[in-house]
Amino acid sequence: MATLSLFAVQASASAGASSDPDTLARGAYLARAGDCVACHTAPDGKPFAGGLAIESPFGTIYSTNITPDTHAGIGGYTEQEFAAALRQGKRADGANLYPAMPYPSYARLTDEDVHALYVYFMHGVEPVEHQPEQTDLSFPFDQRWGITAWNWLFVDQSTFTPTPSSDAEVNRGRYLVQGLGHCGSCHTPRGLFQQEKALNEEDGSEYLSGANLNGWWAPSLRGQPADEEGAKVSGLAGWSRDDIAEYLATGRNAHSAVGGEMTSVIANSTSHLSEQDLTAIAAYLKTLPAEGSTRGNDSDATGVAKESSTEQTLTRATGLDAGARLYLDNCNACHFASGTGAPRVFPSLVGNSLVNAENPTGLIHTILAGAQLPSTPKNPERLMMPGFAWRLSNQEVAALATFVRAGWGNTGGAVSAEQVKDVRETLNEQPGYSGAPTRYGAKTSAEHATDNQTPSPSKD
Amino acid sequence: MTDQPNNWQRRTFMRQSFLTIPAISAVASVPLSAWAQDDTPPLSEYYPRFFEPQEWAFILAATDRLIPADDNGPGAIAAHVPVFIDQELAGDYGNASDWYMDGPFLSDLPAEFGYQLPHTPAAVYRLGIKATHVYCQRQYGTSFAALDKAQQITVLEALEAGEIDFNALGVADLPSQSFFAFLLQNTKEGFFADPIYGGNRHMAGWKLLGFPGARANFLEWVDQYDRPYPLGPVSLKGLQNR
Ligand code: HEC
Ligand code: HEC
Ligand code: HEC
Repeated sequence: MATLSLFAVQASASAGASSDPDTLARGAYLARAGDCVACHTAPDGKPFAGGLAIESPFGTIYSTNITPDTHAGIGGYTEQEFAAALRQGKRADGANLYPAMPYPSYARLTDEDVHALYVYFMHGVEPVEHQPEQTDLSFPFDQRWGITAWNWLFVDQSTFTPTPSSDAEVNRGRYLVQGLGHCGSCHTPRGLFQQEKALNEEDGSEYLSGANLNGWWAPSLRGQPADEEGAKVSGLAGWSRDDIAEYLATGRNAHSAVGGEMTSVIANSTSHLSEQDLTAIAAYLKTLPAEGSTRGNDSDATGVAKESSTEQTLTRATGLDAGARLYLDNCNACHFASGTGAPRVFPSLVGNSLVNAENPTGLIHTILAGAQLPSTPKNPERLMMPGFAWRLSNQEVAALATFVRAGWGNTGGAVSAEQVKDVRETLNEQPGYSGAPTRYGAKTSAEHATDNQTPSPSKD
Repeated sequence: MTDQPNNWQRRTFMRQSFLTIPAISAVASVPLSAWAQDDTPPLSEYYPRFFEPQEWAFILAATDRLIPADDNGPGAIAAHVPVFIDQELAGDYGNASDWYMDGPFLSDLPAEFGYQLPHTPAAVYRLGIKATHVYCQRQYGTSFAALDKAQQITVLEALEAGEIDFNALGVADLPSQSFFAFLLQNTKEGFFADPIYGGNRHMAGWKLLGFPGARANFLEWVDQYDRPYPLGPVSLKGLQNR
């Protein structure tokens, strides 16, 4: 703390803005909540120095250096210019930013929070004199003024105002989810023009109702259980507030374990948030009625299988079809005949949103490449599931995935060897982070798996 | 701030952990119906990496005597035990890469003092086969592999009992029983180790024992009393044999 304030004092002597330690610390916290580091850091690069490639069908968009370096970074930004970049997607020179920067969400930020962020970025971040690769899209996508119309149509530039009918906790959660958290950029389906179909709950029930990120399902976050008795539980309806908060803090809970694009969100952002803020996020999500969601979680609150015949088949272990046999040979070790695994260690496959997603890409990817939980302050252990690409053929993965998607009352459809082949082909690509508007075609970083999953004989 | 957007890192991590699993070459070529199907070529098409042709003939014959095919099922030859031994000797084990191999070598110490021969396992085989060959030439006028089965067994028994004096046959510092002990031990390993290492083809050794292989968890069997386990084994590579 001593060094922080010393740094603050020195820094404020050189720049004009006031930077008391409290404001600095709050700015650092808000930068976590906004997950700025994830997009503004290249693999192996210095934090906030930019250069992360975000693929789009129009070309590659590179994030920029937002350290306070005056040449390469944003050291020359006034607070007003900084606010305009965050909330309106305007660069200091007046040009529009590509909405790969989630300003449609950051538009909700209060002046107070923008100020704290500004103080942090000017005085709490080390300047890095590194000019990242420049974005150079071809015509017409290089015409940044074209984004003006898009902004006018799709961006609601009003800052956050609390909803009077909600209590303070729900309003805090609403602010974090809609604003800094930019959860909707992955969890809300996008329209024809890549715009999020709803930026908040008043916009429509599609808000946070689940979306495909290049085939990987970002599940519905709408958490209020449906009214009718026996109605299909979907979204986060089967999760308690504590379940949600635990997942955001550690990447795991009794129902699920993170494996895809959400892994980096948890590692870099939500696991650093206070328990109050995570509970507030959960409280807000639980106010959103679940009916707008398509396919999500249909387990009950304890994640216990509604249908036990799959468990019986696996337990008897006679007359198995190929998929069931492959499950016993490859998966039963950790996920068990019940499919429910062990809470916080081996996630349940029963009613699991990744398993049941309409598009099986995420499941196939998990089987082929495995998955590893992030290390978080509260749960540092990076439990991992091994990948099976080296061991199972496309046909076998298809049979296995089909079995898992139909077992224990799950409702996912059949998977073909062709679909497995397509996912297998993505396993060799370079690392990267898709960031928010994946509708620009950014690949999920999960897809950017670096490894060649076919190890060459290493023994002699 | 050490945290990085790190999804890609976990892939790298996993890749490294894959590489610790040795000798995975052919991948994903197993059709669903291929119970017990194995893509390894027949023994006749195998080119030894360590053994010379004459040594190879000895190994084929000797392992066939140690674990012969019989009513219980396939033996060392069908299980490709010679392949296992050949690969083992061509690699780190053969070269004793991680053994302490400097002197002094004292043969009369208790077992806790560890390995006391001045030869790597590869050298033990080279020298042992050579001495046995000279012995067979003198005793029978032909090579070990050309003897009939009963004679081969007689020779192996003499090796095991330490009755063949390798020193007198031109091989120093190698008691014949030490050579035999290596041969027997490695033959058993080749019969029961995972097929990924070249032997235990079609999991013949595991089938013999009823060992289910690399399936890891039998929680659902804890309370299934008196029910025979119905599934055949599965290997590290995911091969099945019923
Ligand atoms: C989902 C990815 C993403 C996240 C999260 C993100 N940014 Fe950005 N940001 C970008 C990209 C990409 C650009 C460059 C866009 C362009 O060139 O049009 C950018 C541009 C900027 C700029 C303009 C810089 C310049 O070069 O003049 C500022 C300032 C900025 N971001 C600040 C932030 C802050 C502060 C946060 C966290 C609260 C943040 N960003 C979070 C992707 C992101
Ligand atoms: C970069 C895209 C992205 C962003 C931003 C994002 N998520 Fe996610 N989220 C995902 C994906 C993809 C999954 C599916 C799990 C996985 O495979 O990673 C997911 C899963 C979840 C789950 C588990 C749902 C289930 O049924 O298993 C919760 C809860 C969640 N996210 C909450 C949030 C919240 C709250 C925010 C905003 C603070 C957020 N997410 C921001 C992509 C994202
Ligand atoms: C060695 C133990 C182990 C084995 C074997 C194993 N898994 Fe996993 N599995 C895990 C762990 C640990 C996780 C959590 C990792 C993560 O989410 O980052 C996981 C996660 C998953 C997930 C993601 C769940 C979620 O909530 O998003 C799916 C789906 C899955 N496994 C399916 C399978 C299938 C199918 C097999 C058989 C091919 C299998 N697993 C084999 C340990 C294992």
